[in-house]
Amino acid sequence: MAYLGQIRAIVWKDLLLELRTRERLVSMGAFAVLAAVLFNYAIDKTIVRPQDVAAGLIWMTIIFGGLLGVGRTFHLEAQNGAFQGVLMSPTPKDAVFLGKAISNFLLLYLVSLLVVAVFMLFFDLELGSSPTALALALGFGSLGFVSLGTLFAAVSSGTRMGETLLPVLVFPLLVPMVIYGVGATGRLLALRPVTEVAGSIRMLAAFAVMALGAGAFLFRFVLED
Amino acid sequence: MRHVRRRRSIGLNGPGVATLPEAASPSKTVSEVVIKATGLVREFGSVVAVAGIDLELGAGEFLTVFGPNGAGKSSLLGLLGGSARPTRGTVSVRGEELDFGVEGWRHRIGVLSHKSFLYSELTAAENLRFFGRLFGLTDLATRVPERLEQVGLTSRAHLMVSQLSHGMRQRLALARALLHDPDVVLLDEPYTGLDPSAAAVLRGVLTELKDGRRTVIMVTHNLGEGLHLASRVAIQVSGRFAWEGEVAELDAANFERFYHCVVEGRT
Amino acid sequence: MSGNGLRKGGVALTVLGLIGLLAVYWLAFFWVSTEIRQGVAQRIFYVHVPAAWTAFLAFGIAALTSAMYLWLRDERLDRAAVSAAEGGMVFGTIMLITGPLWGKIAWGTYWNWEPRLTLTLLLWFIFLGYFMVRSATDNPEKGKRFAAVVAIVGALDIPFIHLSVVWFRSLHPEPVVLKPEGPSLPGDMLILLLASVAVFQILFFGLFLFRYSIENVRGEVESRAREATVA
Repeated sequence: MAYLGQIRAIVWKDLLLELRTRERLVSMGAFAVLAAVLFNYAIDKTIVRPQDVAAGLIWMTIIFGGLLGVGRTFHLEAQNGAFQGVLMSPTPKDAVFLGKAISNFLLLYLVSLLVVAVFMLFFDLELGSSPTALALALGFGSLGFVSLGTLFAAVSSGTRMGETLLPVLVFPLLVPMVIYGVGATGRLLALRPVTEVAGSIRMLAAFAVMALGAGAFLFRFVLED
Repeated sequence: MRHVRRRRSIGLNGPGVATLPEAASPSKTVSEVVIKATGLVREFGSVVAVAGIDLELGAGEFLTVFGPNGAGKSSLLGLLGGSARPTRGTVSVRGEELDFGVEGWRHRIGVLSHKSFLYSELTAAENLRFFGRLFGLTDLATRVPERLEQVGLTSRAHLMVSQLSHGMRQRLALARALLHDPDVVLLDEPYTGLDPSAAAVLRGVLTELKDGRRTVIMVTHNLGEGLHLASRVAIQVSGRFAWEGEVAELDAANFERFYHCVVEGRT
Repeated sequence: MSGNGLRKGGVALTVLGLIGLLAVYWLAFFWVSTEIRQGVAQRIFYVHVPAAWTAFLAFGIAALTSAMYLWLRDERLDRAAVSAAEGGMVFGTIMLITGPLWGKIAWGTYWNWEPRLTLTLLLWFIFLGYFMVRSATDNPEKGKRFAAVVAIVGALDIPFIHLSVVWFRSLHPEPVVLKPEGPSLPGDMLILLLASVAVFQILFFGLFLFRYSIENVRGEVESRAREATVA
């Protein structure tokens, strides 16, 4: 039980800090809207129907915006060495990871919903055949992304290259998330039945579980000095 | 058995060199040993930060470690505090070895550094509550206000750390380090950046630490303060203790000369 | 383990492998029968496929030794991991060069998202991440740990990447499909393929031993440097 309390303390602290500084929320939110604007000009509507490419654009926006946010995960912590204080506490490293991953997930999920809303607005899209399934797909996708992102944000923060290394490390690993996520989203937006996307959503869930588990277990090796 | 350790004969006859005979102190039983390090070594690639250090301290002892920059003092503290893994050797607190798989021993250690380990955008009270939860403390509603009062920050409890002065931050950092009542307190250059009045406040608080219950290890460049507070002194040079012994063995008036002799004698 | 012996063994195996490779090339061009559907261009198959297998084998070794390194902290395991990773990257690069060449000659396109080629491309980038992270830290021990984490996560992700890429391809079929190798291969082709695989394994282990011996020397240099600063 103390374990959950520790995770809760970290999530709460991160959310409180985010609310106070609004550092990542604003930049990720602005990114979402601006990206949609740029995409509007990047698509020639006489050749391509926005509906056909929306799913892909939505997920790429979430990934790029997410990278912005996740990359900064350890920045606020590095100030004053506060994170070292956390590491010197009896909190197990996997609990620290889960706390960070959960708070990152909440932030990213919120942003992903914003992205979908913005794209629906700008590209005149319907919510699709199952908002629940869509929410699930976004949820599992965000969770998987955030798990890998948090782990490798810790890695890249520990290198001379910093956040610039993060895309190189994370992008190859995100291919399954993009394939299944876009696959499911595209189908749902095209009003295909939910049964067609069940498999993809299951794979997204499995991917998220793998990423969360791997992150929780490997985090301690990244952090020790 | 506790013994006076002399790494090598300095070969000086001037003042400032103690001339005590070897080991004449009462032995200490195992249960009295609070923190013990054996054969500590820390290597990074081709750099050896700590080259073999042993120490043993009981409750109420205050060890000050002096040494030039690059002697590996901060690395030593990192090893003792469990924030770094030794390449070789072990550290144990109250008989429990610092095993990185299990974090329970961290309850017994508190660290104060020149870094504050505080979140700038949280208030003083919020910082203490957060770390209190990480340490699994359940009585935070009473403990936090109590500790804030002890360091004189009650009126600033709801101010963000970014709004506190350096001295106040240091006091809060100390409250944070002691929040969970650790047996062992590690201080890494706590006097850095403090003006004389803030340093006096710190000295007051640290003097209170010598209450017989806690074991304190302090690393500092401040020869005066370090010597004043210590019950034991070590001088670390190139990753080893070039000299270690009780404060009683030293001639406080000439300590500075002694210190420079030891440091230069080694290099 | 004598360093000299390892290095000589490595060089010997590499030379043997290269000779074997020449033999394979010769056989591939002049001896083996021509595949009906794809013609002469199919012959790159005998270099392409074993290179791919070896790259993946190498990655498996790197991931496994990385995991053991994190557990046991034996430097030799990390040396094995980096040696395997380097070998794997070499063979991955070979595959990424021969694959598109074959594609161009056989079907007119350099790249068509064929699943195995795509998987190798992504594996190559995971290797890249491995080496980048390894060299981007100030503390070399940290670099080794980070690289081990990259290898392990990569290994966990590869099955997902494989499944997703294959599934994607099934939904977006391209006009040309790589002929799958299998028991349906006629005799001489199968023999050559197996011989080629054997040659590539020899070549890989030659490179592996050679790199391993270099890492041994590096470790030796580091420990002597440490002793020098302490003395």
